[in-house]
Amino acid sequence: MARRVELSWGLFALLVLAILLALPLGAGPYAIRLAAVIFMWAALAGSWNLLAGYAGAVDLGPVVYHGIGAFGTAALMMRAGLPFLVSVALAGGVAAAIAFVIGTPTLRLRGAYFAIGTLALAESAKQLALAWDRLTGIPLTGGSAGISLPLSAGYLPFYYLMLTVMACVTLTALWLERSKFGYGLRAIGENDRLAEASGVDIHALKRRVYMASALFIAWTGGIEGYWLSYINAAEAFGTAITFQMVVMALLGGLGTPFGPLLGAAFLTLASEFLGTRFVYHYLIGIGLIIVIIPLFMPAGLAGLVRLVRRERPLTA
Amino acid sequence: MTLLECRGVTKAFGSLVALKEVDLALEEGETLGIIGPNGAGKSTLFNAIAGLLPLTAGDVHYRGRRISGLPTHAVCRLGIAKTFQIPQLFPRLTVLENVMIGALYGGGEGLGKARGAAADWLGFVGLADRGGLPAATLTVSERRRLDLARVLATGATVLLLDENMAGLTQKEMEAALTLLRAVRERGKSLVVIEHVMRAIVGIADRVLVLNYGEKIAEGHPHEVMQDPTVIKAYLGEAYA
Ligand SMILES: Nc1ncnc2c1ncn2[C@@H]1O[C@H](COP(=O)(O)OP(=O)(O)O)[C@@H](O)[C@H]1O
Ligand SMILES: [Mg+2]
Repeated sequence: MARRVELSWGLFALLVLAILLALPLGAGPYAIRLAAVIFMWAALAGSWNLLAGYAGAVDLGPVVYHGIGAFGTAALMMRAGLPFLVSVALAGGVAAAIAFVIGTPTLRLRGAYFAIGTLALAESAKQLALAWDRLTGIPLTGGSAGISLPLSAGYLPFYYLMLTVMACVTLTALWLERSKFGYGLRAIGENDRLAEASGVDIHALKRRVYMASALFIAWTGGIEGYWLSYINAAEAFGTAITFQMVVMALLGGLGTPFGPLLGAAFLTLASEFLGTRFVYHYLIGIGLIIVIIPLFMPAGLAGLVRLVRRERPLTA
Repeated sequence: MTLLECRGVTKAFGSLVALKEVDLALEEGETLGIIGPNGAGKSTLFNAIAGLLPLTAGDVHYRGRRISGLPTHAVCRLGIAKTFQIPQLFPRLTVLENVMIGALYGGGEGLGKARGAAADWLGFVGLADRGGLPAATLTVSERRRLDLARVLATGATVLLLDENMAGLTQKEMEAALTLLRAVRERGKSLVVIEHVMRAIVGIADRVLVLNYGEKIAEGHPHEVMQDPTVIKAYLGEAYA
């Protein structure tokens, strides 16, 4: 039974992936750009979900790695003269290394302390990035003016790049659903003291998934920066990005592999069709959604899908 | 051979000294009972051994090796695992998966082997038919058995059982005692905290009595229970 469900999910995912790969053949530039934005948010929300949804650690500072990815990629391209893809890849590595250093002490904090600690960290990172050029004399972030990157080539490569990162994140989540590592994380998320007493090295496991999530977030930030050809620290390190990641993951369904994609698609499309016309109403609408979702759909949109498919009871 | 040894174990919570220089030795294959009034420091002693609480003074040795200061997961992997006075579980994992966590991480098994071992231990504690249910749906007495199965699945040699029989009916207690004897036959060494005297007499080779964090008696269960200091600690001055 469980196998069949898994298999059908796998086939479904493959089918969707095939359609997405071929989509640019049939769809116009507008749709492709919109899809790329959805993938970008799905990758970000999905990365956040890896730690929060599986290990139960609510990180309110993931945007740090977004900023590091964006400025790291820009620096490697413009200062070191490296090709774009090499720069993105390396910036991801840098972010993961920094995540190791930051995660080692902060991941020992539990619950609200971790959330507040990471939030404060992100704010400090933003201030540091804004002041970087002035403080160090090494031009990197362009202060509050930001920096411009070389003009990029069209939108199609970004569609495929965002699709790739989103697929990496989703595959990681799918792997967590069925691997030993994933069981360890879920044990931590459910009851960390008991996990520890059952032999789970909780700090090591959390740090590993935190690093993976930093890597994916940095990739996304690096790709986005080059796509927009302009980045500034206030936005690239801004809490608004964290906020969207969290809302999309919660809306889609925490701890589910496809939830963040659902949440990203829903909110991106909603803001695309409502937001441009009714900006203020849109904000109120989002606010309402944020309040309503946890109240009436604790398992998010994916929980709704699951309920319809009757895989397992919601209260399980 | 001495498996587990506590030397001068002391634990203070601020000004409250919950354990005062407690010495303890557990021989291979032995079952040691720990009794004492509420708040005597019994659970604290287990937490200290398992690495869940840092010691204020003293140290703990396992097979001659100092283990105090090691993180909890390392103590578990070495072979000491504990159950919890308030039975703990991973509520949204299934009962089988709860036990698998022990086998995967405490026992270092892969998924396939862990699943098999978990199913075996569930059968052993009599929860075979509950394997697929979310653990949160279990009753308290089932939770205690699940806790035991999880600890067994870690492959630990020394099991620290914290009031694993509390709140059971007479019949359930008999079954629990039979189960513990079966555990012992698997070559496990046990330290058992229990409030119910009959349970302790039914299983322990030796008993250690804690009162206000201090060891006030140690010896054969029947002797210890006739010891005036013990009776006083339990029932008050008038009965001594
Ligand atoms: N984490 C803690 N912080 C402060 N005091 C504690 C803590 N754990 C236990 N205590 C105190 O230590 C004493 C011993 O508690 P405990 O070991 O739970 O007793 P027992 O298991 O014998 O009933 C009690 O007075 C209790 O209030
Ligand atoms: Mg106790």
